[in-house]
Amino acid sequence: MTIAVCIKWVNYSGPVESDTPDERFAGFSFADQAALEWALRIAENSSDEVLVLTAGPVGAEAVLRDALSRGAHRAVRIDIDLTSDSSVIARNLVGAMSQPRMVWCGDYSNDRGSGSVPSFIAADLNIDQALGLVALELPENANASFAAVRRLDGGRREQLLISGSAVLSVEGSTVRLRRASLKNTMSASKQEIQVITATGGRMDTPALRPYRPRPRVTLAPIGLTALERVKHITDTSSSKGHGETVHAEPSAAATLILESLRKWGYLP
Amino acid sequence: MTIWPDISFQDRIDTSEFRIHERAHITVNDDSCRGCTTRECVVACPANLFVPTSDGGILFNYENCYECGTCYLVCNKEGAITWTYPEGGFGIVFHRT
Amino acid sequence: MTDADIIVVGAGPAGSCAAIAAARSGKRVVLIERGPFPGSKNMYGGVIYPRILDELIPHWFETAPIQRWVVRRSTMVLSDTGALNIDYRSNAWGQAPYNGATAYRPDFDNWLAQQAVAAGADLICSTTVTGLLRDDQGRVCGVSTDRPDGDLTASVVIACDGVNSFLAKQAGLYPTADADNYTLGVKETLSLSKHIIDERFGVRDNQGVDIEILGGTSGVNGGGFIYTNLDTIAVGVVLKLSKLSAQKKRPEDIIAELKRHPAIAPLVEGGQVVEYSAHLIPEAGLEMMPKMVADGLLIAGDAAALCLAAGIWLEGVNFAMASGMYAGQSASAAINANNVSANSLKSYTDRLNKTFVLQDHKKLRKIPHLVLSDRIQHKYPAFVTGVVERMFRVDNPTPKPGVRRIVSQERKKAGIKLSELVRDALTGLKGFG
Repeated sequence: MTIAVCIKWVNYSGPVESDTPDERFAGFSFADQAALEWALRIAENSSDEVLVLTAGPVGAEAVLRDALSRGAHRAVRIDIDLTSDSSVIARNLVGAMSQPRMVWCGDYSNDRGSGSVPSFIAADLNIDQALGLVALELPENANASFAAVRRLDGGRREQLLISGSAVLSVEGSTVRLRRASLKNTMSASKQEIQVITATGGRMDTPALRPYRPRPRVTLAPIGLTALERVKHITDTSSSKGHGETVHAEPSAAATLILESLRKWGYLP
Repeated sequence: MTIWPDISFQDRIDTSEFRIHERAHITVNDDSCRGCTTRECVVACPANLFVPTSDGGILFNYENCYECGTCYLVCNKEGAITWTYPEGGFGIVFHRT
Repeated sequence: MTDADIIVVGAGPAGSCAAIAAARSGKRVVLIERGPFPGSKNMYGGVIYPRILDELIPHWFETAPIQRWVVRRSTMVLSDTGALNIDYRSNAWGQAPYNGATAYRPDFDNWLAQQAVAAGADLICSTTVTGLLRDDQGRVCGVSTDRPDGDLTASVVIACDGVNSFLAKQAGLYPTADADNYTLGVKETLSLSKHIIDERFGVRDNQGVDIEILGGTSGVNGGGFIYTNLDTIAVGVVLKLSKLSAQKKRPEDIIAELKRHPAIAPLVEGGQVVEYSAHLIPEAGLEMMPKMVADGLLIAGDAAALCLAAGIWLEGVNFAMASGMYAGQSASAAINANNVSANSLKSYTDRLNKTFVLQDHKKLRKIPHLVLSDRIQHKYPAFVTGVVERMFRVDNPTPKPGVRRIVSQERKKAGIKLSELVRDALTGLKGFG
């Protein structure tokens, strides 16, 4: 089966800023490089073929040849305007993949893109996604499920068990891309690259609103004078029942916590 | 006479693109450098990569190397500076020179 | 069967021309470049004289990525406060067949390497050659690279690996690497609008200016240069390595001081540094040249110290292109003759000897060291500008002094002995002859 790797052709973060990547100063990010390396490692232990894809003009084929020289089997370039919407790019990438077993992507690109292409790919293929992986442990059997650690906000980590088809995006620090042998470098320059002209429009996405937490209901302060009412909402001298110490079994403790939260108005 | 603000050394180096490899392509022999009084490399290196330390040694960087070769040529201590080209594809990348 | 007929190491001007010449004669050529693309490691002091390309790439000027055609060539002598400028202008140099051109080397070298690819050579970038392969009789038969499985065999290796040429050194063709034979070039590329450059330098369209400077290098033996690109100018200095460290002056400080000179400041004012760069120059010409031929090996370009730094003539890219082309042709001829021994490859040095490549160097043999000598560097700028200052200063009511007296007085003031002046004049006359 196919393991697809999507790499983004971008300018290196060199001193000269330019909107359109110059063939000479462009490449693919460490994250994309790591994605390619993981795909190559999985393919080594299986009969899978590694398909690399990129989007852009003819100049972008340089990164595909680079990937081929490092061991990818097949390369496809989507001929598309790089300012296209991420969902358009994702849909075209998916169109060129045909039932991939896995899709590997870099977690970020050098040009600080939105990072949304992997999600769009997962949505379009209707398979699971595991994005922002910071650590992976590949199984010996290439088809077995494997463990990965995902980065969450606020320094938290999430352990995942990945099995079946999935879109995976990895950070550059997870692995270092292998160097291509001299012979492969020479043959890659002559290997064929399939070019697909982009089609189609944006993907439908549900209308989203910014997240707003539900307001907590606070009762009006009680008191005859203004001073008493102010004291009622600000005074900490009188106990309101917060800060109670109880000893209980975990399940009983959890029930107690929920009850308290409900009593204090934090839960409905 | 016109005076204009000259740029800082770091700003000057920052105008160049360096694709940095993890392997240092310059190494210095600490023992030779401790006995060196002339310290040609410290003055001549255009990237200012060689820094004398307070204990008499030489601290070297390789990341912002222009790969010119000045350091090993001016150095008068045989074998004090070992200098090779960085890994293919890495190191300085000129744009408008 | 070897992997290639000819391996060319380094896709600079020498390497690409070698590859073009060899590929045109039907050889399987592999051109190896350590940078991510040809030209990415290359910088220079400003002017390419590409007429030598007529032979390899007819109508090269229609496709070459040129910034400006040099129509003004100035030689400037700077004292602390004065400047003598000898300026020649020829608008004819701005039209075919052209003379000198300014270009960005990452553009020009890349273009030239693409010509080699078009001629049929295989270009491999991001690959550093780490050494020479030898057969059991010690003949060079290929190269090793820093890639996995990185050995590559060939009948002939042409080393165009630049001024540091580790290959020529490894092959034992350089006697010693003496810091006295090298200069360090450092350069700032300054951004200025095309309009301002045109006005300041008195040029239009794609006309350009090249100024070579003697003096103004803060007492470190060397020289300076300024030249124009389309919307940037380049200002830099060339510094004798041995003097640089002895004088305890930092290269970037010497550029800053040159930029502050009253004759230079108005030219560079307002230019923002967009790139800083540095490179070594094999300055000593014939005095430092290595043996250029060994069994299965040829050396060309900067690797063979084929760089002409003779005061008013500062050329390198043209010598590189020519030597590379001759090396490519000789290597092909030797392979055709089924004999790649040093003796058979000697047709390369014969070609160099018969053409400008070595003729110019022989003619100007003494000039590089003369130009960088302490007297020329530290005494003559003050002397020359002093003479001119006195000649054109009107000290009325004092009557004009005779020129001979001015020369004699200024010579003494600058501390130059008459015998030294005569000797230098003779060396110069003979050398430039």
